[in-house]
Amino acid sequence: MNYLLGLIVLLIKIAVMLGGLLLVASYLVWLERKLLARLQIRLGPNRAGIFGLLQPIADAIKLLTKEEIVPTAADGFIFRLAPAVVAVTAMMMFAVVPLGPDIRLFGRSVPMVITDLNVGLLFVFALSSLGVYGVALGGWASNSKFALLGGIRGAAQMISYELALGLSLVPVVMLAGSFSLTAIVDAQSGVPFIVLQPVSFAIFVISAMAESKRIPFDLPEAENELGAGFHTEYSGMRFGLFFLGEYVHIQVLGALTAVFFLGGWHGPWLPPVVWLMLKIFIVALIMIWIRGTLPRLRYDQLMALGWKVLIPVSLINIVVTGAFIQFAGFS
Amino acid sequence: MSENKIKTDEKPLKPAESSGWSALKALVEGFATTAKHLARKPVTESYPEFKRQLPERSRARIVLTRDPDGRERCVACYLCSAVCPVSCISMQSAEQPDGRRYARWFRINFGRCIYCGLCEEACPTSAIQLTPDFENIQRDILTLVFEKKDLLVDGCGKDPSYNFYEHAGVTTDERGKGEHANEAPPVNVKSNLP
Amino acid sequence: MPTLKIDNREINVPAGTKVIEAAERLGIMIPRFCFHPALGSVGACRVCAVAFTEGPVKGIQMSCMIDAQDGMVVSTTDAEAVDFRRHVIEFLMLNHPHDCPVCDEGGHCLLQDLTVAGGHGLRRYRGLKRTHINQDLGPLVQHEMNRCIQCYRCSRYYQEFTGYRDLGVMGIGSRVYFGRSAPGMLESPFAGNLIDICPTGVYTDKPSRYIGRRWDYQRQPSLCIHCSLGCNLTASARYRQVVRHEARPNLEVNGHFICDRGRYGYAYASIADRPRQAMAAGTPGPIVDILAGAREAIQQTVEKHGPGSVAVVVSPRSSLETLAVVKEACGQHGWTGPAAAHTNRQALNRNTAVSCLRPELAVSLAADTEAHDVLVIGADPLNEAPMLALSLRQVQRRGGHVIVIDPRGVQLPFDFDHWAVHPSAMGAILQALIQEIGGHRATAPDTPATFDITKLARRLNASPRPVVVCGTDILTPHEIALAGDLARALRRTHKVAGLFYTLAGANAFAAALLHDQPVSTEAVLDRIEDGGVRLLVAVEQDLWREFPDRKRLQAALKRLDHLVVLDYVDSPLNREAGHFIPTQPLYESGGHWINQEGRLQAASPVMAGGEPIEITGGSDHPPRVFDRRIPGDEPLAAWRAVAALAGEDEADPAPQLKTALADFHPAVNLSTPEATGQRIDLEAIAHDLVESGPAPEPAEDDAPADAVVLLLVDWTFGTEPLSAMAPALTRMEAAPVARLHPDEIARLGLAEGRPVTVSLNGNRLTVPVQADPRMAAGVMAVPRHHLLEWQVFGETRVIVKRSQLKAESE
Ligand code: SF4
Ligand code: SF4
Ligand code: SF4
Ligand code: SF4
Ligand code: FES
Repeated sequence: MNYLLGLIVLLIKIAVMLGGLLLVASYLVWLERKLLARLQIRLGPNRAGIFGLLQPIADAIKLLTKEEIVPTAADGFIFRLAPAVVAVTAMMMFAVVPLGPDIRLFGRSVPMVITDLNVGLLFVFALSSLGVYGVALGGWASNSKFALLGGIRGAAQMISYELALGLSLVPVVMLAGSFSLTAIVDAQSGVPFIVLQPVSFAIFVISAMAESKRIPFDLPEAENELGAGFHTEYSGMRFGLFFLGEYVHIQVLGALTAVFFLGGWHGPWLPPVVWLMLKIFIVALIMIWIRGTLPRLRYDQLMALGWKVLIPVSLINIVVTGAFIQFAGFS
Repeated sequence: MSENKIKTDEKPLKPAESSGWSALKALVEGFATTAKHLARKPVTESYPEFKRQLPERSRARIVLTRDPDGRERCVACYLCSAVCPVSCISMQSAEQPDGRRYARWFRINFGRCIYCGLCEEACPTSAIQLTPDFENIQRDILTLVFEKKDLLVDGCGKDPSYNFYEHAGVTTDERGKGEHANEAPPVNVKSNLP
Repeated sequence: MPTLKIDNREINVPAGTKVIEAAERLGIMIPRFCFHPALGSVGACRVCAVAFTEGPVKGIQMSCMIDAQDGMVVSTTDAEAVDFRRHVIEFLMLNHPHDCPVCDEGGHCLLQDLTVAGGHGLRRYRGLKRTHINQDLGPLVQHEMNRCIQCYRCSRYYQEFTGYRDLGVMGIGSRVYFGRSAPGMLESPFAGNLIDICPTGVYTDKPSRYIGRRWDYQRQPSLCIHCSLGCNLTASARYRQVVRHEARPNLEVNGHFICDRGRYGYAYASIADRPRQAMAAGTPGPIVDILAGAREAIQQTVEKHGPGSVAVVVSPRSSLETLAVVKEACGQHGWTGPAAAHTNRQALNRNTAVSCLRPELAVSLAADTEAHDVLVIGADPLNEAPMLALSLRQVQRRGGHVIVIDPRGVQLPFDFDHWAVHPSAMGAILQALIQEIGGHRATAPDTPATFDITKLARRLNASPRPVVVCGTDILTPHEIALAGDLARALRRTHKVAGLFYTLAGANAFAAALLHDQPVSTEAVLDRIEDGGVRLLVAVEQDLWREFPDRKRLQAALKRLDHLVVLDYVDSPLNREAGHFIPTQPLYESGGHWINQEGRLQAASPVMAGGEPIEITGGSDHPPRVFDRRIPGDEPLAAWRAVAALAGEDEADPAPQLKTALADFHPAVNLSTPEATGQRIDLEAIAHDLVESGPAPEPAEDDAPADAVVLLLVDWTFGTEPLSAMAPALTRMEAAPVARLHPDEIARLGLAEGRPVTVSLNGNRLTVPVQADPRMAAGVMAVPRHHLLEWQVFGETRVIVKRSQLKAESE
């Protein structure tokens, strides 16, 4: 009975989480387009509904009803699999993000996280690395030169930045003393880690943006060089899945930034979930602002930034943090 | 070897310009610029509520124009169809009773045309011209296939004066040998005078 | 073998090679206008200038005028030479009209190419341009004299190469004019080559005038099938229509040229009444059903009357593929045939010629031109195989001598000896000639004294390189074998002597390899009449047009249980046939052909087929409805249709074709690509008719004193059935007339210009009489003209008594 109830609660949580994610993702698209337009003195979507608010729905209908084309020369199975990999891994990452402190429901304590893994951080990393497969395989299976180049770029870029991303979080784990995201959030009940670890924060944000292939790191899909990169050959809802993956990824990014550096759901006055949402939203806004401002990096600059700047700096940062903890007795 | 280097306008950066601070400054300036844009009124004009007058040389729907004296300009030379990168022009040349070469039929598939303007550039008679009318949209793709009667317009388009048959040396009902621009009267082969 | 250096590359060339040719061997194409490999050099255009830096010649010189010599160092890229050429181009362009857009040469114009290559992009000359009045040169060649750059290629070709005089150069200075003294039809049947040879657009192709640009054409190497010489040509098609032929250089066959029959005879492939629908008794139906119906009819006939009751006739014009599959089908199923000749005499003639053609004697058309003395027996080159006349002209140009022994009033565009001999005397003359050549004094046959056999024999014996040319149309097998004997006799006295037969049909040589004992349509009709054959399959053989007895044919066809016709030309038989299956002409099917000297040649398919857009669009815009199927794409390659008729089911016929070709004849080997273009293995052909020759025929042909021999003969235009369908050539055709010697006209009580009616066995042929003093006495020559119902006497060589001739009043 207990198991059954647990299962039901879990399913409800998953449903709510997924529903929220997808809804937010679609409106994030609208927000990005609208905001980007304003940053560039344009109007943005304004035809579907007032302020173009129905645009995401129109987009979804269009994507769902468009003809799905699998190129003759493509490897059909992998071609169909790749977009799912991207979307699913992005959504699964949310499984370990704590939305707030435990609440009591029907006399039971219900954690506000789908599953509180004690290696949550590693789980996030594992999934984000898996997401690369979607990009690389999608590019390869399309059997088109642009897609292949995009896929290769994606793989290379993620390998490079994954390292910096991982290293940038080592100080956080050192400070929190745990891999569990819930524990990390709890460790920031006082001071958010952004204050203690500004360098880590900067490295994390940069690497995470590179991981999610957003401007200025969108080399895998660089339109003006590669058509659309790894998803050149995709159409209809399979393209939609790539798209969805990207915007879910933005939310994941916001959530992780909040969890690792901004104190997660901690905050005064407002309920915890709202705090978390707010923080995610702010991160997303900043990412859109970046997109509206910065040009794309050149490939050599991208690699130089990753290997020559971010990795050394994060290594030094780890040593410094370690020394600090050891000698200053900080914990 | 050094003289073989490609010349660019790029000036070497001054030390101050390449320092971390100036980079940071540039970043901040960039973000500030875009942030300021938020407060500006968008420059976009909403189409179709507002229709801009396009420059006469902008490239959209293609027409076949006429000579100043109102006769078809196109001589069906196939240069436009040869140069068209997407092969969307086809025609059949033929001779009219008056001696002029003309297109018996002429077809442009606007479903394929990329409005590059190469056809206009290749045309030796100024017959084919792109116009600013870009609102050439059809629901049925077949109606985008334009035949000669759809393409032919009255008037000379952008070139008000050129008349190919005034210059070409071929005989037509209007001009015989020696009657075209810059032509001497026909040679008398029977004469032996130098 | 001088060795010289061109652009730092060394090359060794035969003495007498011009520098421009030596460079070409290195792959360096020096610009040229007046130089042409077939015409040689004149140095008229000055555009081939190169710099000679070392060796016997120095400075800027014309590379087409200078023989390659040892130690020469030549630079084609020398700055001064390049500048020189650039100026020459600009000079040549001074008077050039501004009409490239309406010029049919545009797109394959040498002047355009060299103007662009020379870097002359902008006209600086502001003066008046010289203009010329054009001439109407007939239906084949369009004249636009303004475009001339005075390279003299046309007049050299027309007068020197072909030997005709009616086109040439007039005027002086900058006013030279190339044309006729008065507008009018060009006389030469080789005039179409002016189009290929003129480097600018002065002469352009009139039938394809304003049809399109070369870059839009589908172009493939093809062959001419309008006579047995098998000239090489490039066929162009556009919008599913064959639009142009150009000569394709083959230095072993036709050189650089073709005749006008070959150049303009293509229209049959695209005309509106070409049958494209399968029919059962005149009712159109889907081709698969009709094929199945025809197959069923054949099976039923075989079941009821045995396999021999099915007979096949095939055209000697059909591809090797078709002949092979037909042969295989007849062999496998025991059908009668295939017959690939009309009459017994024609079949025997052809096979005699092929079996007499020993490998050491066979010469090609090109090798003919190197002969010193040519003896033409029973052939009328200009009318039967036009390019042969051009070949003979080259013999004469090189100082050789041409003797024609033929009863017809043979005309050639140069001086030659003509012995107008009565057909019945030809055998005796040849025999006497052979004896004389062998050194025996022959008893002079009964011929006029002007025909001095002893002198001719001496002349041939003294000739370093004699060639015997022999026709197979009007002769009998006996004389054809004698021609072979004559060549062999010459060979015994010389090391080199050639033998060259002309045959009836582009693939007649291959048709001769169908059987050892040839079968003719005549023999098949015999079998139909005695009830032995109940079903006839006619493969691309329009018996209606070509069989020499239409009445007998019709009666015989009525006796048949069933007629199956496979063809690509329209004929009343198509609608009468129980089953009609449309086939593809060579432009669609491609294939192989063996020409009269045994050379195996290939034609590539030029287009996929289907009704021309000109027709589907009613010469307006092509229809706007689109379909995956092309209208009128039903016709099949004839070999496919035959394979479907003979096969058990609708299996892929390709393997069947492969075995049929492999089994066709040991002399024909298609397994290696190198074999194409070469002569087949003549050694592998049975030569049992050779040496003695068959016994002389009974004296049936020895015309009684009050009789004439009526010969139904070929003309250049109007008699060859396929080219006769070309609208462009109809204006070239002369009206059909019966040619007789003037004395003969008087003797027979006829009148020149008045029609004569020949009645024989109840058949009549009426045709106007024309006097031709070159004709032999006792001979009357009538063309197998498409405007004449000549298919009446069952033979193309018959004896007519004086009483059977009747002068008509008008
Ligand atoms: S504009 Fe360009 S694409 Fe369009 S018809 Fe002309 S050449 Fe072709
Ligand atoms: S280039 Fe000009 S003249 Fe030539 S076919 Fe095209 S439209 Fe006609
Ligand atoms: S007409 Fe042609 S071939 Fe003859 S001289 Fe002029 S350019 Fe040469
Ligand atoms: S000579 Fe015969 S094969 Fe050659 S082009 Fe003329 S008709 Fe054709
Ligand atoms: S090609 Fe040598 S002068 Fe014309």
